[in-house]
Amino acid sequence: MRNPFPLIDPVRRRQGPRENQLIGEFIAGQIGRRGFLRRGSALGLGWPLLAAIAGAIDPLGTLPARAATGKAGTTIRVGSPMPAGAIDPVTVGDAGGLLMLQQVGEFLVFDQPNLRLAPMLATAWKPNHDGSVWTFTLRKGVTFHSGGMMTAKDVVATIERLADPRNASNALSVFKGVLSPGNIEKIDDYTVAFHLDAPHGNFPYYLSSDNYNAIILPADYKGDFEKTWDGTGPFQIEKYTSKVGASFIANANWWGGRVLPARTEFSFFAGQQPQVLALEGGDLDVISQIVVQGAEGLLTDRRMSIIRLEAAIHRQVHMRCDIPPFNDQRVRRALALTLDRPAIIQGLFRGLADLGNDSPFAPVYPSANRDVPQRRKNIAEAKALMQAAGSRGFPVTLTTEHLLEMPDYAVLIQNAAREIGIDVRLKVEPPAAYYGSAAFGKSDWLDSPFGMTDYGHRGVPDVLLTAPLTTHGTWNAAHFRNPEYDRLVAEFVAEVALDSQRRIAARIEQLLLTETPIIFAYFYDYLTATRKGVTGVAPTANGELYLQSASAG
Amino acid sequence: MSREVIAAGVVPEEAPQPSRWRLLRRSGGFRAGAAIVGFWALAALFGPMLVPWNPFATDPLHALAPPSAAHWFGTDQLGRDIFSRVIAGSRDILTIAPLATLLGTIVGSALGLAGGTLGGAFDFVLGRIIEVLVSLPLIVVALLALVAFGASPATTIVLIGLVFAPLVARTVRAAVLGEIALDYVAAAELCGESRLAIMFVEILPNVLGPVLVEATVRLGYAVFAVASLSFLGFGPGPPSPDWGLAIAENYGVIAGGYWWTVSFDAAATASLVVGVNLLAEALHQALAS
Repeated sequence: MRNPFPLIDPVRRRQGPRENQLIGEFIAGQIGRRGFLRRGSALGLGWPLLAAIAGAIDPLGTLPARAATGKAGTTIRVGSPMPAGAIDPVTVGDAGGLLMLQQVGEFLVFDQPNLRLAPMLATAWKPNHDGSVWTFTLRKGVTFHSGGMMTAKDVVATIERLADPRNASNALSVFKGVLSPGNIEKIDDYTVAFHLDAPHGNFPYYLSSDNYNAIILPADYKGDFEKTWDGTGPFQIEKYTSKVGASFIANANWWGGRVLPARTEFSFFAGQQPQVLALEGGDLDVISQIVVQGAEGLLTDRRMSIIRLEAAIHRQVHMRCDIPPFNDQRVRRALALTLDRPAIIQGLFRGLADLGNDSPFAPVYPSANRDVPQRRKNIAEAKALMQAAGSRGFPVTLTTEHLLEMPDYAVLIQNAAREIGIDVRLKVEPPAAYYGSAAFGKSDWLDSPFGMTDYGHRGVPDVLLTAPLTTHGTWNAAHFRNPEYDRLVAEFVAEVALDSQRRIAARIEQLLLTETPIIFAYFYDYLTATRKGVTGVAPTANGELYLQSASAG
Repeated sequence: MSREVIAAGVVPEEAPQPSRWRLLRRSGGFRAGAAIVGFWALAALFGPMLVPWNPFATDPLHALAPPSAAHWFGTDQLGRDIFSRVIAGSRDILTIAPLATLLGTIVGSALGLAGGTLGGAFDFVLGRIIEVLVSLPLIVVALLALVAFGASPATTIVLIGLVFAPLVARTVRAAVLGEIALDYVAAAELCGESRLAIMFVEILPNVLGPVLVEATVRLGYAVFAVASLSFLGFGPGPPSPDWGLAIAENYGVIAGGYWWTVSFDAAATASLVVGVNLLAEALHQALAS
């Protein structure tokens, strides 16, 4: 058979087996262009090469322009969630705090809104033969705001700090079982090798903006971030006032080139409604994130623009598998079958969300297997399952947070559950009370028999597959223990090839549909609101907001 | 009555005074207040049986529907019928507010009676404590207490009752001081009645009027306090149709033009406060006449 793409052959001869497997999948039509670019970027294939291959097979078109085109020197005023506490890149975990980090800090790799990886402080990355060692090449000529040059020692120190359990890092949920302290090797000033605990196909995502805390800090960072705000990003701190706001000025020495705005001003808000009013009143240019509830007016206001990103933001409704009343998987499945998911999405999000199928595989993930049937409301089947389990219904308390749409979702679950005799009582707490100490035995989140927890977006589902669902997962609120699941997830995580990932994903999805330790009913879109005339605002579904190309006309 | 008759030294026969109850019934304010409060009391007792829709039934596909023949007050964010929820929501507030007022009135009256009757150091110390307590903003005290003890209807009742008690005590003490110098109190002391008997048997019946007026005024404030605490998240939780909670749940969508999601709950709260205040005003006038 004639090779339809002869121009690709010389390129393929220079690639390793994993890269060639990926190119083969793309040529065979097993993955789309988007998936090819995404997987290729994860494997460390450079953009020119990816563009050339994709262009030879399916014209790539123009990559998103990085050049800023708006009016220079303006001030961009942003409404931001209020940081929950001190801003420390090691420990911070809330949306407001993470948004502050990202204004001055940068990651090795940037997880773009389309889930493709792009170089940031690393220019290239490559796995060894089995994906157990990943080598990153660092960008040269990057300076910290304090003046020092960023080199491999800063990268090693930063990631070591995050991977060390003694530091109680927020990034441990990502690194635990993947990267252990002492396994990061400085090859030279601009090359770092990461020796993983086990092969990992998606490891570059773990060093990307997907891992919120992984901004690169100077090696001698002493935990005083709120004093130094030392990063490499396009903006430098001007002023930070706790509980009030922060302002940043353009970094003239930024490696990425010209920063369009002269300043950015962030005002902290405890809720969405005042932000909406401030935007409508012209006191803000941008709201970093809005949710549909309470922002319906913005969605239809012609003076506003809404940036919509498909995302994996979701709520996990866990049912403890180790104690009654949910220790029988038939009861858990029955409850999941009572939910009218399309109606929930329409009611809570005006349709701006994807259906969930009771697994972390959001439709946005290329690795999600769409051949697995979608779970739909089926009261007859739910009642049959309850009967088979010998249950005629029971009272149970659903514990959750007073956050965004969650109390309303809890009410919908309460009503749905009533149809099969489950009397759900609601306990809605402030988030701090719900999370408690975030440790087993000291947290309503991790201890409640029936709870609902908020989860943010991730570029790959790996953390969502491991932390809340594996036997030793740090967020395993469902207390789900299934060796077969653990094995499949380990297999999935180690796999690099997308078609293999999809094949394993199908088995994981089927297993989770049968066991149903957690209900995933929806994955909602990430929405950012701007005034009309404000251009160049680049949010990500991770909650980041890139403003170096922004302009308020 | 003519001046000539008076001048001639003829004492005119005193016209019969209408009873206080008759005065009250003649008062337009009383009748309006009674009608409003009576309506809400009936709604609290029987409303859930009479409403056209189940106040708790959700219908997400018909969320935020404007008022119509099917849904007189429209639907909220979960597609629940707002009319049914407003009617059903009166039960919480009309349980908590009167009980809180009753508690505050009993405790406050006892303190006011004790302070005014016993006098001396006890009255001085009690007076200073009351001044301190009265100077604290109700909502701040309430929030601190609810955070410390946890939000529940019982906590809210005790809390509002105890916050109101000093206010009632101050009013009652002032009324007692007006009575303590009268002859009947001295006569009771001469007869050897105990302090306790003088307080509760002699003086209390004579200050019941101010106590009643103060209690009615406090009831209006209690309604407002309960709604405010619910709005701030310290009242009944979802899916209760409580008015304050409903406003808190839906106020975020007003900017989108969905005015009906909070307007009727707010109007219900306001109408109950106005109704109670009309009753209090009419009662005050009847007792003062």
